[in-house]
Amino acid sequence: MLGRTAIRLAVMMFVMTFAGIAQGQDKLQKHFSDAACEVKATADPSQKREILDKSFERVVKALNTVQSSPLISKDDRAGIDHFKVVLKEKQDELAGLNGYERVPDAQLNAFADYVVQDMEQAAQSVTISLVALLLIIIIVILLV
Amino acid sequence: MLIPIVHERQARVPSAFWGYRCLALGLLLSSCSFLPPAPSETAPGEENELLPSYIVVCIIHGDSGYLFHDPDGNEYRADEEALAGAKKVAERNSQAEVFIFHEKRRRHFMLFFPRRDGEFYYYRNGRLLAQESYWRDHGQSRFDPEVELYYRFRAEERPRPVRLFLYFGHEIPEIGGTGYDASYRDRTFTVHELVDGLKRLTRNSTKFDLIMLSSCFNGTPHTISALTPYARYIIASPGNLHLSYFDLHPFEALDVGLRDGDVSAFAKECAHQSFDRLTKDIQTEITVAVYDVDRVQGFLYSVDSVYDDALTRLKEEAPTSIEHCDCAEDPAYVRPEMSEGIDVFYRPARFGRSRHKQEHSGWECPKLLK
Repeated sequence: MLGRTAIRLAVMMFVMTFAGIAQGQDKLQKHFSDAACEVKATADPSQKREILDKSFERVVKALNTVQSSPLISKDDRAGIDHFKVVLKEKQDELAGLNGYERVPDAQLNAFADYVVQDMEQAAQSVTISLVALLLIIIIVILLV
Repeated sequence: MLIPIVHERQARVPSAFWGYRCLALGLLLSSCSFLPPAPSETAPGEENELLPSYIVVCIIHGDSGYLFHDPDGNEYRADEEALAGAKKVAERNSQAEVFIFHEKRRRHFMLFFPRRDGEFYYYRNGRLLAQESYWRDHGQSRFDPEVELYYRFRAEERPRPVRLFLYFGHEIPEIGGTGYDASYRDRTFTVHELVDGLKRLTRNSTKFDLIMLSSCFNGTPHTISALTPYARYIIASPGNLHLSYFDLHPFEALDVGLRDGDVSAFAKECAHQSFDRLTKDIQTEITVAVYDVDRVQGFLYSVDSVYDDALTRLKEEAPTSIEHCDCAEDPAYVRPEMSEGIDVFYRPARFGRSRHKQEHSGWECPKLLK
């Protein structure tokens, strides 16, 4: 079992290294876009919240795992910290914590779009290196 | 002046031929890409009555990180969408000369042989006259290949054509700038490289009537000041801009939009249409500003040294510790003439800490995260 996981990881790492950093970013965006589509396909607000919360948790878990890896540079750690803060703000807003008003049930679809679109700005977005980004994606995929 | 005219079909035949030949010689050659088409001439006098009234130069950066989704989850590449929009502009303006440069991600043939990573399209009077691939990294300056192609193909001009420059890409940095191109991570690209390109496209003589920067955070005093010698009007976003970019539809009928030669009104109409389109589907902040370059000089002059000092201090800081804010929120930049010469279309983000912010000055400034 461990051997199979290691082989899967090595193959994914090889393929994604050639695919490059763009693919890494794309996968993260796709992760949140898929969650947004799932949210919109669900009528029950509590299920919508659960889908959004799980999608955040999965990425935060991957970020924590990668951050503790010896492969990660100081700059990457800072980039990951920044990304975690961004995600934490969204989790807080969803739940109505830390000064946020809780996102109303009727606005959960729009909030799901907001999460996706906030990652799709024409800003300088890459502050995490290729290696770190690939590790994050691999862990997110393995957590599915 | 001889005008190189190549029909699309002519340009593609040698390309396909060389493409197959390259494939056969792949292991021997260091690259495999299309050869530039051989120019041919039109009959003398034929083009005189078709001299362009509009010149549009469009640079589309599409190296990395340009994926976006619509609310239904469909994927789009921002650069491909911008390219399709620019081609429509080129095809629908019968009196325009349009230069489109698509800067693509560097790819390799059989993993080792680099392929050309720039694609150039040249349209005149609504027809594609040339298309060729080029190397983006040839030349010392960032826009050497583009400037060379521009002067190789440009037509004789009417006495006063309207000149438009459109840029699509991520935020053009004011400091740092390494890593902007994922394919050339050691190369630097800042506002100053853009200015160098504009300087050579205008040859220090004629300004662009309108520059549109479809990117995030470029509506800053420093960027607008740097572009001042090369632009009469500028459309830019001082805040975040979604990758679905500004709208190109108003550019599809330049004869109508610029009927009265009023570039100011045209720029405001473009900004308005972009704002209307973006507000339909986008939940994040939308800020589109139009700068009348002559009229904003008072404000730019008054904050020039403050802003430069801030940039000098921020050069030492990690990118993740720098954030952007509305200049009106920082007393160091607040001046009575701040709103002079600027039209702002603004809607706050639907969510997040700034969702109750009701106004934007149209100027963005950098600050250190607390």
